[in-house]
Amino acid sequence: MKKISKVVNVKTLRGVVSVVFFVALWQLVVLVKVPYLQNLPYPKEVAVDGIQAAGSKAYWFDWGISLMRIFIGFIAAQLIGIPLGLAMGISRIFKSYTFPVFEILRPIPPIAWIPIAILFWPTRELSIYFLVFIGAFFIIVINVLQGVSNISVSLKWAATSLGARPKDIFWKIMVPGSLPSIVTGMTVGMGVTWNVLIAAEMIAGQGGLGRMTWEAYTNHNIPFIVVGMVSIGVAGYLCSTFIRWLGEKAMPWKRKF
Amino acid sequence: MSGNNGRGITNRDIFGEVRVEGVTKKYEKEGQCQTVLEECSLHVQRGKLTVLMGPSGCGKTVLINLIAGYEKPTAGRVYIDDTPVTGPGRDRLVVFQETALFPWMTVYSNVTFGCRAQGISRGETKERAELILKKVGLYEFRDKYPTQLSGGMQRRAELARAMINDPKIMILDEPFRGLDAMTRQLMQGFYVGLFEEIGRTNFFVTHEVDEAIFLADRLVIMTFQPGKVKAEIDIDLPRPRDVRMLASARFMEIRGQAIDLLYEEAAKAFSAGSKTAYDLMGALVAQKGACNCLDDKK
Repeated sequence: MKKISKVVNVKTLRGVVSVVFFVALWQLVVLVKVPYLQNLPYPKEVAVDGIQAAGSKAYWFDWGISLMRIFIGFIAAQLIGIPLGLAMGISRIFKSYTFPVFEILRPIPPIAWIPIAILFWPTRELSIYFLVFIGAFFIIVINVLQGVSNISVSLKWAATSLGARPKDIFWKIMVPGSLPSIVTGMTVGMGVTWNVLIAAEMIAGQGGLGRMTWEAYTNHNIPFIVVGMVSIGVAGYLCSTFIRWLGEKAMPWKRKF
Repeated sequence: MSGNNGRGITNRDIFGEVRVEGVTKKYEKEGQCQTVLEECSLHVQRGKLTVLMGPSGCGKTVLINLIAGYEKPTAGRVYIDDTPVTGPGRDRLVVFQETALFPWMTVYSNVTFGCRAQGISRGETKERAELILKKVGLYEFRDKYPTQLSGGMQRRAELARAMINDPKIMILDEPFRGLDAMTRQLMQGFYVGLFEEIGRTNFFVTHEVDEAIFLADRLVIMTFQPGKVKAEIDIDLPRPRDVRMLASARFMEIRGQAIDLLYEEAAKAFSAGSKTAYDLMGALVAQKGACNCLDDKK
């Protein structure tokens, strides 16, 4: 009983109202044939297609492919980006060697890397991993770098006075101290990787939610385009929720009570 | 160092003394050279509570950083007993202006940080931690994180984190700043009690005249830019100190003396355009009696 009252509260009710209102508006737009939107399918058509898709293996296979691509590229970006950001934040010399190049490459939109990625990686799959990697990499590095420089000097001084060695300072001060920024970098990066992934799949991919949506377009199956879009939205939401959950688990001190 | 923390053994010889000898500290910023401390000499006596006062920007925090070994003087030397300071050390621990508790560690982990860094056995660490946590009244809160504590509790946790290591000298940089008036007074009473029990060498920096006199054995007043010692006043109020002393005739006498000295420096800081000096001036004017000061200005 307690659990139910936790889920069904005013906030969730408002959320339900907002979704219902949106769908009703959509229905209305199609019903009155708003100019330029007359090709829009009814919500019911999309729902029917969606339910049908959910029963097919191929649909979930596309989910799997997209999630795997996100997972590989994203993890690779964290594994390389977090240590790089920490190193740049801790060593001024290392930063002055690496930061200028980094700052030139960083403003290039990840999608602008598509041609070169396709040309240089031996398989399409590898080039998609690479593009997802690029989408998350620069963001995580810049966030970690900022996180390290935001750590108050008095924390480092206090630790040194208390007898901490450089190794302790790194693991007990620098790493936990930059954790909030790491989580922020991961959350933002996750959003960007979905952008990049879908673009890459539409242009170069085989399978995946992006390709699925694109194929619906080439088949002129408008309800299924919308099914694809909604699927991408849900997938992105699930990934962000996962990162947030991970962040809460990793930083118990951020909870208030 | 024997583990005498909080056990009421008051062998003052084991604590240290600080000698600041002819210290000058200059900073170079965009080609401009600023002298923060000039030929500053100071003696923090063994087993005594020395309080340092001065207007904002007179280099109080810089002086602390030099004694703690976080920064190096441009000229002159700082000695702990007879050893020159070359870097930070466990023999002199600092309680910082804004809290420097590690936010990602529980109170217990914060307090035992020093013990763990030194590789002291788990059993002994636990024993020492329990003793000190009970002493500062945080034993029930040992598993909380710093953000879950009140301001006063945070300061007590920080005191505990330093005292568990039994340093020869404790350095406190405006530790009660930002606490509300009530908590501040309680913390002053708590802190002075701890000092009187243990008798450790303490070096305490503050802005508050009443706090300074209430706590101190010796009050040191600094000049404004470049900072050096302007005057030293021995506070001969009896110990243990009691809040009621704040109204005693002797207290008022020392207070008047200190305020006159401070007022001169605050006025200098004020005319040099220091924003924070404005607040201090205001406070001092209020304390001195408004009419009196206005006459001075004319």
